[in-house]
Amino acid sequence: MNAEDLKALQFPLIALVCVVLLAAGAVYYSDALLDQSQKKLAQEQKQLKEARTRLQRSGDEKEVIVQYLGGYQQLERGGFAGEEKRINWLDALRLANQQAELFGVEYQISTQKPYPYAAEFNPAPLTLAESAMKLRVRLLHGDDLMRFFNALARQNAGLFLIDECKVRRLDTGGVIRFQPNLMAECELSWVTAKPGSATEKKP
Amino acid sequence: MADKLLICISAGQASAAHWTGSKIADCRVFAHDESGLAAFKEFLAPLSTVPVYLMVDAVEEDYRFETLPHTYGSDRASMVGRKLKQHYRNSPYTSAWLQGRESGKRHDDRYLFSALTNPELVTDWLQAVTEKGNPVAGIYLLPMVSTALLDKLQLKAPNLLVVAQHSAGLRLTFFRNRQFRLSRLTRNDSDTAEEADRIRFISEEISNTRLYLHALRITTLDEPLTVLLLDRQDEFGDAAQVIAHDNPGLSCQHLGRAEIASKLGISDEQLGLSRDVIYLYLLGLKAPASNLASSAITSGFRHYSMRHGVYAAAAAVALAAVVWGGLNTYQFMDANAQALEAARQTAQQQALYQEATRQFPAAPASAENLKKAVEVAQKLRESARTPEMLMGIISTALEASPAIYLREFGWKYGPTEIESGGTAVRSDSESAAPAGVTLPRKQSGLIDGEIRPFRGDYRAAIDTINEFADRLGRDPAVQQVRVVRLPLNVNPTLALTGNTLDNREQAGTAEFRILIVLKPRNP
Repeated sequence: MNAEDLKALQFPLIALVCVVLLAAGAVYYSDALLDQSQKKLAQEQKQLKEARTRLQRSGDEKEVIVQYLGGYQQLERGGFAGEEKRINWLDALRLANQQAELFGVEYQISTQKPYPYAAEFNPAPLTLAESAMKLRVRLLHGDDLMRFFNALARQNAGLFLIDECKVRRLDTGGVIRFQPNLMAECELSWVTAKPGSATEKKP
Repeated sequence: MADKLLICISAGQASAAHWTGSKIADCRVFAHDESGLAAFKEFLAPLSTVPVYLMVDAVEEDYRFETLPHTYGSDRASMVGRKLKQHYRNSPYTSAWLQGRESGKRHDDRYLFSALTNPELVTDWLQAVTEKGNPVAGIYLLPMVSTALLDKLQLKAPNLLVVAQHSAGLRLTFFRNRQFRLSRLTRNDSDTAEEADRIRFISEEISNTRLYLHALRITTLDEPLTVLLLDRQDEFGDAAQVIAHDNPGLSCQHLGRAEIASKLGISDEQLGLSRDVIYLYLLGLKAPASNLASSAITSGFRHYSMRHGVYAAAAAVALAAVVWGGLNTYQFMDANAQALEAARQTAQQQALYQEATRQFPAAPASAENLKKAVEVAQKLRESARTPEMLMGIISTALEASPAIYLREFGWKYGPTEIESGGTAVRSDSESAAPAGVTLPRKQSGLIDGEIRPFRGDYRAAIDTINEFADRLGRDPAVQQVRVVRLPLNVNPTLALTGNTLDNREQAGTAEFRILIVLKPRNP
């Protein structure tokens, strides 16, 4: 093909390029539209399948509600299900201190964050969160520590897990009287569960 | 099918036909004079973009059969070019047609060289065509075009002589084994001569042709010959019988106007337009391979063909895009319709579900959340650990070691062991864990203590500590016990200083530190 041939083919080639570009654009656009509509269709079909399954299982669902509603309400009252109830925790600390006859409890509660070991419990659709609490408790003797935690658990203010504790002797100067001999520093995790937003609340 | 302009040029006239829709739409005859040329130009005017196929029916033609050594590419082109120049030095209208290969050892190529030896014959017509800008597809000799007649009429005779009255005279074309071998054009006055004279003239010319073929050693006089009389105007009457009678070794077939019309598919009306209409029709169907026109003459047609090719490609691309886009659009609409239907059914199912949930007891969350919350709370409680167990293990071990004095006790429940202060050692499972993976949690404890009373007897103190550690390790719940720190560091890599004269009462302290790791399954 020489220059003369190219000159003769100038307009047809321009037309061909234009047609190819337009065709490619049209095909690309229609492909994109089709892809979008197919994704939408897949989503709608998934929702339909879920809706059908939910309807079919509505009988089972009713049984589950009847079976677990009481337990859940207890957990709500106990501060595990739903929002954190820090005032309840502080009240519980105060009462546990009194009941264990300790010398006062210092506390420090950090901000709430996702519970790092949630995966162990496969909680979906629930979301597990924890608030770490550092406690400083002065003890008369070693058994007081567990007496304090048992008293705290009895308050039913929430679900807590002990992560770490350190107990050291306090210098009492050898004097034997009713005074703290040990200092315990512990870290607890107050764990709460929030219902999943994906599943709607029932009437 | 694309339009074509088919022109048959003879010495005194030219027949021009407009080929469209696989048939001749219009055919006119123009005399070779000023008025004829002017009329021809007028005829061309509205068809200036239509490609032109020229065909020459003249005495001034030449055919040569030759064999050349078998070659390829540029060697073949240059050799054939040399041969053409050698044979037809004065004519620009020449052609070489490769017809096959010899059966001998060398397998030489068999060529038919042909030429129009009087270029002036086409000059005026070609000039008129080029002036109008029509692309010239090719210039062909009429006998070459008539080869298509054999296929069209399904003629299979090994020696066939086609005889027909043309505007330029009587044309006799010989085919051997369905391949063109020779053609003669003899001038006669067919319009004015009596029928008997015409038949006698034809018979004589057939005899002359047979003698000529014999002289050229193409056929012998004894070989049977089939003569096909192409009688477009039904003017030869009983010529076939007369010719067969005069020549015993010859079979003669007469093809009258009606038969030509039916076998070739040309209308009777078109057959009457010109003497050359049969050949114009054959040229319209298929142009022969033997083209006399040089590439300079056909460059316009080459561009025309390429342009059409590119436009055809563009049309094909556009069509493909339309089909593809159409299919996509159909599928898009179908998917949308299905999505709408699915959404409608979902809404219906949800309404039914809502209706069903009215029968449910009032609950603060979904059934799944209720169940999961109860289960997870139970699991969390079961997973909870306290220092109580480790404290019990240590208390038991201490009962047999009154010299051990505990200063500090630490406990941890987590994926890593409790910090033991400068000598923390990560277990194998911890160091091997990939990033992002939560390790299983375990209980570990750290005891900080000293030997009381201590009077400088490090050996006894260390023995007491080791015994204490051994007792701890023997507990079934304990996985591992490590003495992290001893009162005296006897590590040979470290320096050690002291004084044996020191008062035993002021011997300092025998501090130690022990790390305890419990087995993972312990409550």
